[in-house]
Amino acid sequence: MASSSTGPSIPIIFSTQTPYPLPSQKFMLPASWKRYHLSQLINKALSLVKPVPFDFIVKGEILRTSLAEWCSENGVGEEETLEVEYIESVMPPQKMSDLPHEDWVSSVSCRLPGYFFTASYDGYVRAFDYSKKQTFNAQIHSAPITSMCFVSSDEDNNEESTHLLATSSLDLSAQISKVTLASDPSKKSKSQVLATLHLHTGPVSSVASNPSGSHLLTSSWDSLIGLWDTSIPSSDEVPEPSITDRERKKRRKLNGDEKDVDKPKRKAPLMVLKSHTARVSRVVYGTEGDDKLAYSCGFDSTVRIWDVENGICSHTITASEKPFLDIALAADGHTALAASTDRTITLYDVRESSGASTTSSGSLLHPATPSCIVSGTTANQVVSGAYDGIVRLWDLRSQKSAMAHFKAWDGRKKVLGVDWKRGMVGVGGEGGLEVWKAVEDVRT
Amino acid sequence: MEMLSDEEGSEGEESDGQEVDEFPEIDAESDEESDFEEREDDENEEDEEDKEDEEEESESEPDDEDPLHVFPKAKTVVSDITGQLKRVFPKIEPDYDSDSSTEDAPNRVGNIPMHWYDDMPHVGYDMDGKRVLRPAKGDELDRFLETVEDPSAWTSAFDKNTQSDKPLTTEELDLIRRLYAGENPDAEYDPYEPMTEWFTGKGKEEVMPLSAAPEPKRRWVPSKWEKKKVMKIVRAIRQGRIVPSKPKASTQPQFYAIWSESSSSHAPPLPAPKPALPTNAESYNPPEEYLLTDEERKKWEETDPEDRDRDFVPQKYSSLRLVPGYDRFIKERFNRQLDLYMAPRVQRVKLNIDPESLIPKLPSPSSLKPFPTYKSLKFVHPSLARCIAASPDGAWIVSGDENGIVSLWELSVGKEIKRWKFDGKVGALEWCPRTDVSFFVVGLEETLHFIIPPYLPPAVYHLTQTLLAPSTLPPPPENPSPVRWTTSPSNTWTDDAPLLSIHLPASSGLASQIVWHRRGDYMATVSSGGNQSGVWIHQLSRRHSQAPFKKVRGKVQMVLFHPAKPNFFVATQQYVRMYNLSEQKLLKTLTPGIKWISSMDVHLSGDHLIVGGYDRKLCWFDLELSDKPYKVLRYHSRAIRSLHFHPIYPLFASSSDDGSIQIFHARVYSDLMTDPLIVPLKILRGHEIAQGLGVLQVKWCSKHPWLVSSGADGAVNVWCN
Repeated sequence: MASSSTGPSIPIIFSTQTPYPLPSQKFMLPASWKRYHLSQLINKALSLVKPVPFDFIVKGEILRTSLAEWCSENGVGEEETLEVEYIESVMPPQKMSDLPHEDWVSSVSCRLPGYFFTASYDGYVRAFDYSKKQTFNAQIHSAPITSMCFVSSDEDNNEESTHLLATSSLDLSAQISKVTLASDPSKKSKSQVLATLHLHTGPVSSVASNPSGSHLLTSSWDSLIGLWDTSIPSSDEVPEPSITDRERKKRRKLNGDEKDVDKPKRKAPLMVLKSHTARVSRVVYGTEGDDKLAYSCGFDSTVRIWDVENGICSHTITASEKPFLDIALAADGHTALAASTDRTITLYDVRESSGASTTSSGSLLHPATPSCIVSGTTANQVVSGAYDGIVRLWDLRSQKSAMAHFKAWDGRKKVLGVDWKRGMVGVGGEGGLEVWKAVEDVRT
Repeated sequence: MEMLSDEEGSEGEESDGQEVDEFPEIDAESDEESDFEEREDDENEEDEEDKEDEEEESESEPDDEDPLHVFPKAKTVVSDITGQLKRVFPKIEPDYDSDSSTEDAPNRVGNIPMHWYDDMPHVGYDMDGKRVLRPAKGDELDRFLETVEDPSAWTSAFDKNTQSDKPLTTEELDLIRRLYAGENPDAEYDPYEPMTEWFTGKGKEEVMPLSAAPEPKRRWVPSKWEKKKVMKIVRAIRQGRIVPSKPKASTQPQFYAIWSESSSSHAPPLPAPKPALPTNAESYNPPEEYLLTDEERKKWEETDPEDRDRDFVPQKYSSLRLVPGYDRFIKERFNRQLDLYMAPRVQRVKLNIDPESLIPKLPSPSSLKPFPTYKSLKFVHPSLARCIAASPDGAWIVSGDENGIVSLWELSVGKEIKRWKFDGKVGALEWCPRTDVSFFVVGLEETLHFIIPPYLPPAVYHLTQTLLAPSTLPPPPENPSPVRWTTSPSNTWTDDAPLLSIHLPASSGLASQIVWHRRGDYMATVSSGGNQSGVWIHQLSRRHSQAPFKKVRGKVQMVLFHPAKPNFFVATQQYVRMYNLSEQKLLKTLTPGIKWISSMDVHLSGDHLIVGGYDRKLCWFDLELSDKPYKVLRYHSRAIRSLHFHPIYPLFASSSDDGSIQIFHARVYSDLMTDPLIVPLKILRGHEIAQGLGVLQVKWCSKHPWLVSSGADGAVNVWCN
């Protein structure tokens, strides 16, 4: 390695988890080199046909300056050997489309290929295809929907696809709805509410389904978590509340002579998970193959790990004064990321082998309240949205600063929900829905 | 003496003090040692005067005897040596008067019985210690023969000392003869001296008698003053103030160690500043360069004496002998004395205080977390947001603005869920503190609307409905109140319209404050306008309103319920009064010293009250302690608008027209000895000032250290930790 520029040089050892490993060898590199030089060095050393840009992580921080400046900032002598890990660069996200809504969007789902589903505060669930066309629009709730998830999908035939959708709302209930999407744009998509889930006495904050779609979890402000199966009962499991004359009149007036056949069935929970002492803000299932576990976080500053089969809280992580707003599991299922109102997303190691680990293994600092997190398909990448309207793309190996960030709605409106699938980040919030292109790990 | 004047008055004899002070010549020294110090002083003075008189007399005696010439007169002769006149005294000759020791007595044994030497051959010892031998003595025949033969034998006498006969001298013989004759034994004595005429004789006659006045009556009448003085002493003795024959206690030891006492704590008098030492210019022979040139001298003469840099002109003399007397010596001494006298000498004690030590020791704010630090989200009203209220569970916020819009929104997201539009200004909002029902009250102009928020559990909803609009109304009170309670008919009930309304009397003005009792049955409202006090207490279960005060002095600004006792705080413009509602009496009047009270809040313990004013002051009252503020904080630069204690955390917040919110840590200790700890934690800025108004109201979220603030710019901000 002949250094073209004169000046001090720094000994560096490279390591990587990417499929482009360098032989483990100490390099003497000029201190004035920046990321671009190092990336070129690796490309040339491996003589890659197609140039792959790399980012470099030195001691948990992405290298943004020259090596010499980094050393002087962190107080590292130039004689010391630096261990540098390189990862493939994340391209700056690019805005693909902007889909304004009438009301705030609380939840976004990109799970269904070809569609973006949004749940909104006006009680509507909308679906857009990639050509920004609204293909589905139905009022599922009369109250604002707080979260939405897909339970199962069913490709009936070429013309129609039927999906079960679970939504949670401020009207103290969650619902399971059937959405039939017509592939032919001329036909109308349909939706039907199949069942309403009645347990909670407070607004339902989130709903989550396990990967197989057999069970649902709902969390509520009344500190309860409900466990439900997704079968639709033939009759009401929960009796109607006693209604006054006034309501009966009103209901008769509203419903008219409609028969009770299409009426959603009132469903009771399989189990109630009680342990939280304050509002549960989010409950999620464990990752694929690990769906016996559920993770919940709440305003009582705890993250709880549930054994869903037995309905017990198997582990509690207690933080101090961190009312949690959202929780997500990293793709490998080892790390839980919980966003709290103290402007941090805290990382907790939730592997069973780690025992009773209640201390955080790191935190991602935000300048505003982080409202939502979603993990990517690789273990290290997460996307977080915050109330300052900035969506940040993090690499968990570099926790000090985000890898990339972009402003939704020019950073003036709150981001309430994000989803990241297939290299597309759906951002829902005050301004409706925005779709950004953010390339995930190339290996996927 | 003055202390006895009343007793004297009882005797009916008027006396002036001057006469009383004079004390008659009665020897009462021993009795008046310590009891009558004043009298003693008088006595001493008189004694001293007497002594002085005596001394004068004794001194005058020698003068009188001067002409008698005790000492021999000096002769004035011309000295041989000096040629001057000198006085020569006559030599003193030893004679009859002089000491007899100069006589040559051979026997030196002294005046001892001489029969001790009867058996000795000697009769004593002479000056040299040698024996003086007994003279030879004949027998009786020899003695007889001697008396016959010696003609002087009959004029001699036996001298014991020498044990021999000695002839008497002529003086002794003369003395014996005089004694025989009965004459004066002294021959020198002249019994017939000529009379010295002092007052008689020529030119010495007394022309006038000494006094021709008749003898005054007091000469033979017993003295009244004497009697009074004696009676006084007798009385003093009877009362025990004077102890007769009291042993004289010597208060001061006669001898003492003068160094045993420690020196006085006072600093020794400061030495006078030293005058400046003379310099070369003041020398009698200064170097040439110190001498003034003609120009300098002229300039020196022209300047005023006060302005001269030196008050003399250097002079050069060839020798010290030629230096004349210093002509300005007296003036210089005088100036020096003036300097010393006019300038008091004070030693300035330099205050050696570390300024850091004056700052009270407060814990650092980072150790007092959690408290709100940043603006989490913002909810915007189109116009001035005057009031906010948080639901008891801390999840919902209601905010009202000037245009009559009341918005219900979620605290953690800031999403407006429901909006009510009324005609008129919203003056106050408050959520009912009960947890089994859920509704809030909107003070809209002169009406109070009770509104049920949406998305309630059915049980809570029904309970709320039956509470606000019971199917059977309670019986109306006997004396009808001017406040009307109206419930809209049940078939017109919607979520958008209030279920229950209270119409305050007309022209009572905007309801500026609503405050709930902690049980949620009583609600007090304050109306800003009107000539009445404007305070109403509404009881929800009886659907009845009453005015607790017929008349309140001053305009009521705020009212508060005590959190634990049936007490009621009423803040007028300058005073906060605390009433007991059950006993209907005034308990306390607090004087914050604020010109115009704007807001107050009571601590959850009920023992502490904070009062804020439009004159920027914030007073903390410890109700157990005093009617005066325990602490006055003046941190805002504009008027304070709102105060609120956090229901759980030891925090309180104050908002001001300067657009800032200040967060304080306020820890109250349960033991009465420890003072409350108040630590300013954080200034939250983010509201804009609109029309001179800043942050109008602050409210804490009940479960978290989160603060909601509404501002004149229409923004309602949520501050999180």
